[in-house]
Amino acid sequence: MTTILIMTFTGIALIGVLGFAGRRKPAADLSEWAVGGRNFGALSMWFLQAGEVFTTFTFLGMAGLAFSGGVAALYALPYVPIGYMVLFFLAKRLWSLGKERGYLTQGDYLEDRYDSKLLGTVAAVLGVVFVLPYLQLQITGLGLIVQLVTGNSSSGTLSMIIGSALVVAFVLWAGLHGVAMTSYFKDVVMLVVLAVLLVAVPAHFAGGVSAMFHRIDKLHPEMLTIHAGPADQVWFTTSMLVSAIGVGLMCLPHAWPAVMSARDPKVLRRNYTWMPLYELCLLMPIIVGFAAVLVLKPGSSANGILLTLSKQVLPAWATGLVVIAAIATAMVPAAGILIGISSLVARNIARVKGERTQFWINHGTVVAACGLSLLLAIFRPDLLANLLLLTYSGTVQLAPAIALGFLARRPVGKVPVLTGLFVGELVVIWLTFWDKGLAGNVNVGLVGLAANLVVLTLAAPAERLLARNTTSEPDKPVAVTA
Amino acid sequence: MRPYHLIPAVPALALALMPFLPFVNTDGLWFGLPRMLVWGAAWCVLCTPALLLTERLMTTGTAGTTTTAEGADQ
Repeated sequence: MTTILIMTFTGIALIGVLGFAGRRKPAADLSEWAVGGRNFGALSMWFLQAGEVFTTFTFLGMAGLAFSGGVAALYALPYVPIGYMVLFFLAKRLWSLGKERGYLTQGDYLEDRYDSKLLGTVAAVLGVVFVLPYLQLQITGLGLIVQLVTGNSSSGTLSMIIGSALVVAFVLWAGLHGVAMTSYFKDVVMLVVLAVLLVAVPAHFAGGVSAMFHRIDKLHPEMLTIHAGPADQVWFTTSMLVSAIGVGLMCLPHAWPAVMSARDPKVLRRNYTWMPLYELCLLMPIIVGFAAVLVLKPGSSANGILLTLSKQVLPAWATGLVVIAAIATAMVPAAGILIGISSLVARNIARVKGERTQFWINHGTVVAACGLSLLLAIFRPDLLANLLLLTYSGTVQLAPAIALGFLARRPVGKVPVLTGLFVGELVVIWLTFWDKGLAGNVNVGLVGLAANLVVLTLAAPAERLLARNTTSEPDKPVAVTA
Repeated sequence: MRPYHLIPAVPALALALMPFLPFVNTDGLWFGLPRMLVWGAAWCVLCTPALLLTERLMTTGTAGTTTTAEGADQ
């Protein structure tokens, strides 16, 4: 136990040190800090983008999902490649617009494309509200990992405090460069650990991967199919579709700094071409999760199964390495999310004059957002849990606005987009919190998106008609909108 | 929209439809692994050649258009 504990805190400190090593001196302005001066090459971009995909959810959650739902966990496999295939075509336009118009955030893009500060602010507020629970999830995950392996809740709390403090410190110092530096370490250690677990766990419990699946096919064949129940074909397809739209149209705000930091669009295209192969790594925790079907009792805590199996199979020092990898999958994405949230607040919500003031508001937001998430993770871990349900289904409501913004001549203005967005969010919130069963197994984000598109389609001609009437009657006062 | 824009749609559709394909979404194994897993992994791998082919055709198309435009200018 002492070995694991020592390795855990050494790992946390090492990630912090690597984050600081991302820059020799702190960034002087927000552009340099948030998007690294738009000078990142293929390798940095690769790890930054992979960093967003491989989080605590991937590392611990996928194994848990395979244990509880069998192949239903595979819904997470196709959405990133499908999303990246969409981004392959959009990359050049997105990057050129960002470079030409100086975008740092999703809010900057929407504000500029629709000439509406209101839309920029609304998108930024939604982004912060829906992504903050995701940040808390990373911090809670960090504590949970340490608590699971040490069996001691105070070690978990201490690790959350130290981990959060180090993340804030290196993010403030190094910005996106710090995230890139820690991402290299995170992906290498994560892949090594997963490869070891992929061999060791099935071999220990069933005599190998193939033998393990033959036993599952015999004893639990239902785990190998998507069948009727809460995780049926409709759930699988609609959840995958919503996530693919979210990735393909950059609906999650923390995805923007990484893309804006690319040196040129070729770098992005190359990464989007090869990244689907990297996605295969997702299969490793899923396969490990299947081993638990044969070993653990149904109803065991799903989130902890990867660590539980590791402890049973590996020596203490190797389990310590697994813990370091798991901690990295929490700390590195948390750093990326912090950059996304703080730049949204500084650029699109606070709206102060002067670059220096904006820079300090940004840094203050880093401290405040991480501090708030940490306090909630320690004292009220369930408070934001419901909001987490909205992270994907809520942010995906921005998809129509983002997609139409790519067109050289926008077919709609800001009012239909804002109206559609408002209705979409209302539908999602209604179906998530009040009428939970109404949508059945259809992902509520998709239902909200359908309502959003219907309203947008109806409001667009109405807006055009109104604009034509206003133009033909020049004496009448023109309504001032945002 | 050019035909080569549709090439990545093939793996995308194959991935999206996997729970509805009766020969994929069933018990039994392929190569000692669940069929859904093998199908998903195979089409994920095929995304990369699909995008490489698309890029090649896009580059050829752009080069062709440029040459034609230059010829017209002369």
